[in-house]
Parts: sequence; structure tokens; C-alpha cells
Amino acid sequence: MNCESVVKLIPLYFYGELPPEEEEQVEQHLDGCASCTRQAELQRDVAAALDRRVVEPSATLLAECRHDLMRAVYRGEAPAVLPARATPWTHFRNGFAVLFPSPLRWRTPVGAMALVALGFFSARFTQSGAPGPLSAASMAPENVISSVRSVQAGPPGAASGEVQIVLDETRRRVVSGQFDDRNIQRLMLAAAHDENNPGVRVESVDILKSHSDSAEVRSLLLNRVAQDPNPGVRLKALDGLQRFTADPEVRKVLAQVLLHDENPGVRIQAVDALTSHTDDNMVGVLQNVVQKEDNGYVRRRCEKALKDMNASIGTF
Amino acid sequence: MAQDAPGAVGARLSPKIDEAGLIRAVQRGDQDAFEQLVRAYDQSVLRLAVNLLRSQEDARDVFQEAFLRVYRSIDSFRFDCSFHTWLYRIVTNICLDHLRKRKVRKEEPAVVDTPEGPLDRMNDFEEEAAHADPERNLWNLQLGRRIEGALAGLTPRERMVFELRHYQGLRLRNIGEILGTSEEAAKNCLFRATQKMRTELGDCQ
Repeated sequence: MNCESVVKLIPLYFYGELPPEEEEQVEQHLDGCASCTRQAELQRDVAAALDRRVVEPSATLLAECRHDLMRAVYRGEAPAVLPARATPWTHFRNGFAVLFPSPLRWRTPVGAMALVALGFFSARFTQSGAPGPLSAASMAPENVISSVRSVQAGPPGAASGEVQIVLDETRRRVVSGQFDDRNIQRLMLAAAHDENNPGVRVESVDILKSHSDSAEVRSLLLNRVAQDPNPGVRLKALDGLQRFTADPEVRKVLAQVLLHDENPGVRIQAVDALTSHTDDNMVGVLQNVVQKEDNGYVRRRCEKALKDMNASIGTF
Repeated sequence: MAQDAPGAVGARLSPKIDEAGLIRAVQRGDQDAFEQLVRAYDQSVLRLAVNLLRSQEDARDVFQEAFLRVYRSIDSFRFDCSFHTWLYRIVTNICLDHLRKRKVRKEEPAVVDTPEGPLDRMNDFEEEAAHADPERNLWNLQLGRRIEGALAGLTPRERMVFELRHYQGLRLRNIGEILGTSEEAAKNCLFRATQKMRTELGDCQ
């Protein structure tokens, strides 16, 4: 395989899209060709720059999109399928739709109005002794997001035709302050664990990583690296631990990440961090990785580190 | 050096939920089943649209139009491919339309010049916290323009293949299936896209 053909294969090699025998040939060529190795490294560097551009849609955007979509569906803007059997819930949906005959492209303001209106609906259904126009105070304020948890026709003890709707309401509040404020810190640490919103976790860990001098933050970063289900969060947390790669506790976690993380990008960052220090205690880990790793870059970094330590590459 | 995307694409259905059963329920007109089906895929669809189009408004349009098309035409889904592939055919077609319209209009660069200096339109995605991170802002200003410029230099199809492979982690075989082309053609597209990106961004690090 010559340089010209290898350069053409580097993108496919990088993305793991080559058949094993071709991948092997590329790796053999890279081992002996500095110019093509530079091309492979360039590919990785460009990919890393592009990775930093990833945007996680916010939970609010997702909620608004879902809300707009289901409103359009319930309002009958997508009537191709057979109509469902009429239930009290569909009557409620239809009634809801009648009050909001807005065009499809009404966006956030309408979404907010609909949520307020949902608050209005809930008030109508639950305040049986309060006829007449409702005061603004009895309506859901704009910073309250409502979603319907359940709907029940004719709850026990209710009058005929009555329905019961259970709403979950979330109140939005803006809190700002310096990071040295203990309350801000607590909120940030909690946000970094918000299991429902990877975007919030990414942002939180991105901020926290520049405060990794704090043992509490470092402990959180270690926890996120090892446990966060989102690779974007794990990468940010790894970033924050870069200055502590000589710390035995950090190295222990990095070794586990290198051995077990399913994301090659995370493993690449872990191997770079681990092999930036010569550490005989890591020989076993690196040998293990060489045996089982399917990512060419990670494997070669481990092999090089083992060679540098005069350790054997295989475990025999 | 095999690379998979930071955010793997896939259904978020609980293993206990039978996707085929849900689809059949939607085909019978069950709106609640449709909502469950949407929730299994909507995060990855929105993520694709946001990252591809770099505009919240366009991403909302894609989200709405794609899932409404699914709802309207689910009767024609015959289980001869995975639902994921069928859904992504719809989503990618809509996104490609958006990208092609932009190419024609040659407008909406992600980084625009304003009297106050360069402004990244994607800042409307950033949380307030980002403004407290000077390193990130600096990166946005210095590299954002070049990265967006490099991506804008790709054809809509190259851009789509690159997005699906690099950011969404789909295999080229699956990408070919989604885009109605061969795996080989998807490979060629990815190669051209990465060549252009490497030329434009080779010294970014």
C-alpha cells in the first residue's frame, strides 16, 4: 500500500469503516511512514476541533417542539390516519384545539400562551366554586411550565361528566452569582448530576472544570468521567482533570475509563492523559488495552508507552 | 482510530416496549402511541437538525415537519426497513431541502459581522454560563468563523453524510440506506467532505 492510497483511506480508517484486513495494512503503513502518520494526526485534530462545535439542544427547546407537534396532531393537522375512538381525553384535546386555531408556524410566544392557557384550564376544572373571569393571579404565571401527567374520566365521587386532570408544574427561576458563592457551587454540582438533561450537565461540567483545584469539584469530575452516560460530559470532565493526571486517584479512574469506556473519543483522551506520565503501575492496564482495544490510535499509544517503559507489549 | 459520535443515535424506547406494536397502534390512529414513538427518537432528530442547520427556528421547522410527515404517512410504513431508517429518510430530506435553499440564497452564515464585532448566531444556543467562560468565547470567535466556513464549503449532500457519520455516529452502510444511495457513494462523499475540512482546518489545533 503506497502513501497515495493510504491518505485516501485515512478518513475511513479514522471512522472505523475499513474492513479489518485493509485497516491492518493502513496501520502497518502508518507505523513506518511519518508523513502519513502526520496526515492521520491531522485528521484526528480536525475531528477534535469539530467535536467542540457540537450543540446539545436545550430541554426547553425539546419541550417546546414536542408541545407544538402534539398540539398540531391533536388539532387534526395530520389527519391521514384513521381517527381514534372518541374518549373524554380526545374531547378535551379537541376543545383545547378550538381555543388555539393558530397557524402551524406560531412559535415560542404561542407555546408560552398555551402553557398559560393550560394553567387556565386546570383552574377551570378544579375551582368549581369560582365562576366568572379568573384573575391574573389565578392563572399560571409565565415562568411556570405545565405538562399533563394523567387524565381520568369520572373520578370516584365526582359528578357525571367530570374529568380529573393531573398537571406537573415546573417553576423557572434565574439564579446568578460568583462561583465562590457556596449556594452557586451547590447548584452547579447538582446541575452536573441532572439526569434528565445532558445539555445542562455538559454546560455545568464545562464551567466546573476550570475550578478543578477544589477537591469537591475534582471528585465530581472523576464521578462524571466514570459514570455520566453522555460522552460529551465525560470529555468535558476529562478536560478538567488534565492538570491532575499525575494524581494516583485520577490515574486509577482514567485507567478504568481507558479499559471500559465505550466511546473511542473518550478513550483517546484518556490514553493521552495516562501516557503523558511514565508510570510502571500502568503496565498491566496498557497491556490489557493492547490486547482488547479495537481503536488503532489508542492501541498504538499504549504500545508506544509500553516500549518507552521497556515493558513487553503482550501479557503472554 | 475508529471514531463514533459523541451522542449515539438510537431509539430511547424501554426494552419492554415493542416498537412494532407502537407503530401498528399509530397506524390504527392511536395518538398516545404516536407520542411515545416520537419521544423515542425526537432528541436525536432535534440534535441532528440543530447541529446541521445551526438555527433553532429551522430546527423547530424540521422537527415539526418531519414528525407530522411520519404521522401522515405511517400507513405506508411496511416494516421493510427499520423505523429509524424510514424516519431518517424523512428527516434528512427535509434538512437537505433547507441546506439547498440556503445554498441558493447564499445567506445565513453562522458568524456575522455587526457594528459591535463578529457575532456567532449560534450564541442563541448558549446558556448564560458560556459568557462567563472567556476561553470558550475566545474559541467561538477565533474558530467559529473558520469551522462554519469550512462546513459551508461542503455540498448539502457532503454536509449531510459528514453530519450523520461524524456527529450522529451512523455507519456508512446505514447512511447510504437513508440517503437512497450505495455505501460506496457514501464513502466517496465522506472522503470529499473530510478532505475539504482538513484543507480548511488543518492548523486549527
